[in-house]
Amino acid sequence: MLVFVILGVSVLVFAVSMMFDPAQRALLYVRNVQRTTDAAIRETIRIYGLEDPFYLQYGRWMSQVLQGNLGWSPTASQTVADSIRTRWPYTFEIVLFAAPLIIFIGIYLGVQSAVHRDKPIDQASRVFSVIGWSLPSFWVGMVLIAIFYGMLNWFPPGSASPEVQVFMKGAFVRYTGIDLFDGLLNGQPWITLDVLRHLVLPVVTIVTIDVALLIRVMRSSMLESLSKPYITTAKAKGLSNKAVIYKHARRNALIPVATLSGMLVAGLLGGLIITETVFGFGGLGQWAAGAAVQLDMPAVLGYAILSAVMFVVANLIVDILYAYIDPRIRLD
Amino acid sequence: MNLKERWQEFKTGLRPRIAEWRFMLKRLRKSYLAMTGIAIILFFVGVAILAPVLAPPHGDPMMIPKDYDIETLRTQEPTPPTIRHIFGTIDSQYDLYYACIWGTITAFRIGLLVVVVSLVIGLLVGILAAFYGGLLDEALMRFTDIIIAFPGLILAMALVLAFPTTVPLSVSNVLLAVSIISMLILLAFKPDRRLLLVNMLVLIFSVVSVLYSPIVFDLALQRLDKVLIAITIVGWPGYARLIRGEVLRVKNEDYIEASRASGSTDSRIIMKHILPNSIYPVLIVATLDIGSIVLTAAALSFIGIGAPDGYADWGQVISKAQLWMNGPGEIIKNFHTFFIPGLFIALFVVGWNLLGDALRDVLDPQLRRR
Repeated sequence: MLVFVILGVSVLVFAVSMMFDPAQRALLYVRNVQRTTDAAIRETIRIYGLEDPFYLQYGRWMSQVLQGNLGWSPTASQTVADSIRTRWPYTFEIVLFAAPLIIFIGIYLGVQSAVHRDKPIDQASRVFSVIGWSLPSFWVGMVLIAIFYGMLNWFPPGSASPEVQVFMKGAFVRYTGIDLFDGLLNGQPWITLDVLRHLVLPVVTIVTIDVALLIRVMRSSMLESLSKPYITTAKAKGLSNKAVIYKHARRNALIPVATLSGMLVAGLLGGLIITETVFGFGGLGQWAAGAAVQLDMPAVLGYAILSAVMFVVANLIVDILYAYIDPRIRLD
Repeated sequence: MNLKERWQEFKTGLRPRIAEWRFMLKRLRKSYLAMTGIAIILFFVGVAILAPVLAPPHGDPMMIPKDYDIETLRTQEPTPPTIRHIFGTIDSQYDLYYACIWGTITAFRIGLLVVVVSLVIGLLVGILAAFYGGLLDEALMRFTDIIIAFPGLILAMALVLAFPTTVPLSVSNVLLAVSIISMLILLAFKPDRRLLLVNMLVLIFSVVSVLYSPIVFDLALQRLDKVLIAITIVGWPGYARLIRGEVLRVKNEDYIEASRASGSTDSRIIMKHILPNSIYPVLIVATLDIGSIVLTAAALSFIGIGAPDGYADWGQVISKAQLWMNGPGEIIKNFHTFFIPGLFIALFVVGWNLLGDALRDVLDPQLRRR
């Protein structure tokens, strides 16, 4: 099943790439800058037979992809694989904070508004979720920048302050490639603090937008769960309200939410295109957006493949998580 | 059956629908959130209709006029709101008020067009898949799986880049495509033989004409057209899946069996029984989607691959604001360049989402009967 989706994704990406002319497609097979001259491109077209029937080309392209060669990104003047390697830490930093926050806030507010149905907390969280869902993320980002950078100067845009970037060029060991951890590992906690300061606004932006859907689904799932007969049974047994809500109702309500959480986290890569661009964060999303504007096809397709693979992996993790949430699945 | 009898039958068939709509409207009127949503949408409808009065166009109405008086001063910098430009100007002295007013038309065009087209495709695919099941179902649903595996924005971005600016089209190619599609639909719904025969003849004719006809014209794709097509391609699988699930739920109900036993054709069962009983959840999602489609289009414009430079589109206007956001002072000074158009987008989307949300409460049969 998952293998099939991955195969289908590769066919779709390949089909999109076939809409470009051979000279642009040749970049998908290029590995270094010497091969980007006109003569070399013509040679690449000849070597890889880019005017051959598509099924022959698909095989050749696929074998390149499986070797980890996603082509040459002219905007980054790097191979696509290298671009991903240098930029993922920034995106990872955002996801590291955003994903748990989205899931926990979403579940918490969803449960609260279902339990206190039509009470102020329910109304507030419903309004919050409708509005959060309706706001354009770039606008939220820009308004946050205007308030917290323009007026208050608390949280500057970018991924780190200039002095941090200068410092990191000196005696600074890249243990993980992630600034957040490298600062601590190098014994320079001020770097980690500076990175955190830059992370606040992008994380707040993406959480505000993405948490909305989760709140709604958690709320309706929880409402349904609370109306089930086993809740009445649990109450009749004399269990405390807390035990009924958290042990019986919430656990059953989590099942549809797990699927959605997986998709949300995988979909963060899509949302980050905008958020990273607004904040100039320098991660994968900003790279993809810049590439799209300058018609850098290999970069955009590489990002698309990456996001689809993330989606499949997230689904796999959710399937495994199901077994923990729902014992009925474990026993099957 | 003559025409009059058919009309009578149509009218009696319509009566329960009308009663249902009336019931729905009554419920909607009670929900103040729904009324807020409707009020917001009506406001934007009014703005769109009155656009030529509110902001008289010069030349192409969809292109934002520049203020040449200020431009002669050779400054590109945005200016704050004045009486002459009540929302101020943005980069290159484009008038922001004009952009916001005419951007409403762009937003409606994008939202409604994409939703209607992807809804039709989704309905067709979803119903066929669920009603006939088997290999067709499997193939169609696996295809939707693949498209859904991509975050919408990323796939739309790749498609916008990939579409050519001109598509060579010959009359016979179009004819061929139309006849193949109508053939598939006819085969699926098991129609009478005469229609099938006519379609067959058209198909043969178009195959022959493709082989011999040299008539080719270039269909020019504007940048906004590419955005519309890309978002449609990304959007229809969602509807297809949703309607498939609904049809599967309805398909084995007793009244379907009863209708089949009394000799109804497949197409009649689908049109009279399955569609009316399965379409509401899809309509709710479609209402909610109008907002998110406008957001996606705005995001594409924001990146710089959506509406072209100077086009009256909210996202495009905001992307220009980014040019004048260097340093805290400039951000505060040019606050209007992104705040005002963003407010238009947000309000537009909130309107549709409030309406969709209320429709969900009103239309969902499970909630309604409680």
